[in-house]
Amino acid sequence: MDYFFDKDFIDLEKGRVEAREKVTGKAKYSAEYDIPRLAHAVMAGSTIASGKILNINLEKAKEAPGVIEILTHQNRPEVPGLASEEAWKESRFSLPVFHTDKIYYSDQPIAMVIAETFEDATYAASLIDAEYEIQDFKADFDASEEKQYEETGEEIGSLSEWENSEYMVDAEYKVAMEVHNPMEPHATIASFDGDELTLYDKSQNVYGVQDLISKLFNFKTENIHVVSEFVGGGFGAGLLVWPHTVAAIMGAQQTGRPIKIVLTRPQMFTSVGHRPESWQRFKIASDAEGNFLGVHHQAAHPHDTYAGHWDNITGITRKVYEFPNIKTQQATKALNIPKPTWMRGPGDVTGAYGMESAVDELCEKLDMDPVEVRLKNLSTKDADGKPWSTNYLNECIKIGAEKIGWKSNWNSTPGAVSDGNWKIGYGMSAGLWNARRSKADASIEMKPDGSIIVRSAMTDIGTGTGTAMQNMAHTFLGIPKNKIAIELGDSDLPYAPSQGGSKGLSSLSGGISEASKAFKKKLAEYAFGSKIENDQGVFDIKLTAEGVSKDSNSEIISYRKIFEDNSLNRIYVETSSAPESEEEKEYSFCSAAAHFVKVRVNPLTGDVKVEKMIIVADGGKIINEMAAANQIIGAGIGGIGMVLMEDQKIDKKYGRLLGADLAGYHFPVNADAPMIDASFIGKPDYRRNPAGAKGLGEVGLVGNAAAITNAIYNAIGKRMRDLPVTPDKILMA
Amino acid sequence: MKPFEFQKANDENSAVEMAEKQSMYISGGTNLIDLMKNHIHEPDKLIDLTDALSSEISTTPNGVRIGAMARNTAVAEDSNIKSDFPLLSKAILKGASPQIRNMASTGGNLLQRTRCPYFYDTALPCNKRKPGSGCGALKGDHRMSAIIGYSDNCVAVHPSDMCVAMVALDAKVEILKNDGTSAMINFEDFHRLPGENPQRDNNLPEGAIITAIEIPENSFQKNFEYLKLRDRESYAFALISVAAALDISGNTIKSARLASGGVAHKPWRWNKAEIFLKDREATEENFKQAAEIAVADVKPLENNQFKVEMLKGAIQQALQNCLTNN
Repeated sequence: MDYFFDKDFIDLEKGRVEAREKVTGKAKYSAEYDIPRLAHAVMAGSTIASGKILNINLEKAKEAPGVIEILTHQNRPEVPGLASEEAWKESRFSLPVFHTDKIYYSDQPIAMVIAETFEDATYAASLIDAEYEIQDFKADFDASEEKQYEETGEEIGSLSEWENSEYMVDAEYKVAMEVHNPMEPHATIASFDGDELTLYDKSQNVYGVQDLISKLFNFKTENIHVVSEFVGGGFGAGLLVWPHTVAAIMGAQQTGRPIKIVLTRPQMFTSVGHRPESWQRFKIASDAEGNFLGVHHQAAHPHDTYAGHWDNITGITRKVYEFPNIKTQQATKALNIPKPTWMRGPGDVTGAYGMESAVDELCEKLDMDPVEVRLKNLSTKDADGKPWSTNYLNECIKIGAEKIGWKSNWNSTPGAVSDGNWKIGYGMSAGLWNARRSKADASIEMKPDGSIIVRSAMTDIGTGTGTAMQNMAHTFLGIPKNKIAIELGDSDLPYAPSQGGSKGLSSLSGGISEASKAFKKKLAEYAFGSKIENDQGVFDIKLTAEGVSKDSNSEIISYRKIFEDNSLNRIYVETSSAPESEEEKEYSFCSAAAHFVKVRVNPLTGDVKVEKMIIVADGGKIINEMAAANQIIGAGIGGIGMVLMEDQKIDKKYGRLLGADLAGYHFPVNADAPMIDASFIGKPDYRRNPAGAKGLGEVGLVGNAAAITNAIYNAIGKRMRDLPVTPDKILMA
Repeated sequence: MKPFEFQKANDENSAVEMAEKQSMYISGGTNLIDLMKNHIHEPDKLIDLTDALSSEISTTPNGVRIGAMARNTAVAEDSNIKSDFPLLSKAILKGASPQIRNMASTGGNLLQRTRCPYFYDTALPCNKRKPGSGCGALKGDHRMSAIIGYSDNCVAVHPSDMCVAMVALDAKVEILKNDGTSAMINFEDFHRLPGENPQRDNNLPEGAIITAIEIPENSFQKNFEYLKLRDRESYAFALISVAAALDISGNTIKSARLASGGVAHKPWRWNKAEIFLKDREATEENFKQAAEIAVADVKPLENNQFKVEMLKGAIQQALQNCLTNN
């Protein structure tokens, strides 16, 4: 534990640091930078799912108004990293965009129109068509096909130990393909000034973009400046570099003009990943008292034929509960579909749906309360055998049960509670997500007026990163919030890893805490003329709006005097921080959540309404209550979408996504969700990082789906093992 | 979007005079703009009707007259409509989203096109969009498709909610033809079934415009329901919708209206079920039988058989709600 920071995060000013910019429209998203001589690019996609381009007809498009240039695989500037199949594979970039005549999926970019306006480019792109040599393909995932499994972890014990238990469940579960579709579409502006490239790129990882572009194009990293200051949602779709970013750079090379490319909404479905559809078989058994005996978890999901993807669906099975016997296996299937990618809670969200449904089915066989069964089987250690540093899942479950009145409201007989034609049901489940942390740098700069700027390259994808940075700097230093400005989302700023995997804030807290210590030391040196080395000394230093004192009893020396006496323009520190290896070796880290849901189901019409949702999460110390609740509530609404409506269909015959727009693919709206009750355990884990905080981005969705389907079962006595549970499935079950 | 010419008509007659072979009319534009962005319609000229058509909602000796330009929100919130034709108000409010309803016109609502995913993707076959190219939905994904009145050429459904209430309430459509003459079409005859010509959604003559809708007065102010089943609570088209209205005296049904969306190429009236309900008691058993009578005529496709169960349940629930909702 780091006593230095063991105090409450002060959250007096509730607003986000970027609130004013966002509500006044001043905030600039990637597509909104105004650059002289900007030209607009729009990609045209293939209409077939597999084959070869024989000929692309560009005549009509070239005659359209405003067209400057059209890029295809025949005339594009060569990208070294895509120049040969070997180079492409080595670069690990998803698609050799405009460097191949091969078609891997429908809507693969085959040409890019560059025109004077977005409207001109869009229209011209619609005039492009191609002749193809069409090849046989498969675009639909058939879970009944034989699978080539690989073991996902060591087998513990054996299947024969428990397979004959009287209390066993063996069930299959499916989840449909889901798309991220953040509100802000992906967009890139690529602009060259000599050798220097500026990319305004919607991304969750500016250093990641810089690194990959440098490798693909053989550019020096220092010549690539990536800006992603405001990001309108990510959900994982902005973790990788996608073909449109590379295409924008090619366009700028070819035309000598800055190029802006904004994906159309239908392109958002095919061009920036999705959560692959999945199949699972979950076999679980216990003794008569509900002590788990063993588990066999198998899972499979499809991916594309050109880059591949792996969702670790079975991973969660080794984390939440103790099983004396474990076997986990996974398989994948390559199809002619666009590349999937990580989507909020990748793997664990899918796996937890299977696991938490099967546990509920087992509880029914046992005739035991699912709350009790879960509590008695919770794990004390991670899959690798390391004990959890902190894991308050048990408290989450107990508090959640209390909040929803589980004991009095949950009726163990399904279908027992009616309200007119409606049936009422309660369900619960649990989830967990590894609380990771990576290396992150941060800098602090003080100006003579005593205001500071805290900087990091970390992106803020709507999670409240900037606000958390301000909260942390304020708490660590004592300087009032109105004197703390934040700069982020820019590769010229101190290094940060991706805003992904729920590790952004956790990583950043290390960087900011180190920078805060370094800053205090440096300031003290200027103020008092002597170095302060020991932690207690650093802790004792007090900063206010006006100045600094050695401790709360000493005289305050004003910043103005410090700057004048030392002839300074600024005081600047930049530090680096990484998780401490000793603690990484000894402990494992997790966030946890318990989900409690009340539904009403109309068996006449198939209608399902989620009436109550309570999520209690363990995210360590909470840095900003509103932003944290925001994450959990958003995840809960994501769970409603996953269970009740989200379903990206693919036409088997043509291999194309169907209804791929915001009218055809249903995300939940406010009317689909109740007021979600999100709350936190709030106990710090200082082994994880100096803030004691654990990531909250994903955990609110892990397990959530099963709480809803378990509640549906409780309402009508039908197991819904195929998501989404649209009304037709209720009626036909 | 393909570049186009834009003209504004000042009155109904000049609007129809402006019409040419490759022109289209636009009022609210909530559907047409999407169709143009998707290259499903590529008119050379748009004739804007917003100043040409009446948006007035007025009572007439036998009912109400709604100008074709009246916005969906205005109709739904109109005090006359709310008191005398509450079924219509409720149906409109179940459609689209507030933003779309604020823009969408009454006439345009009748003329919106199907939301079948094959119709919307120009890379896929669709006889409605491109006659002769085939019906992608027939053997493809037809979860949302028709269960009655379809043909092998087209299994698309009409997407409107408002129209379901209008057909239930025996509305009439007033049109102005390009020869300057006007006509009244019974609502039930306005939309058509796909047959051999699925590219035609309705019987509006070429170049004609809708000028108004008239709805005769009725006794359905107390016992009515518009029940819409869909994949999400707002901004989703109906899997099945039911407009139900009962005129009850004592516990006897003097007259009943029953219509559905999400079942056919046009808003569909369940005439046999209405006849069954007439002069019977308003009981759960009779509602159930009415539902059975309605579904006896439907023929689901391979993968939308759920719609039979759903329709049955929805009719029952809607009729029950007629007694308790309002």
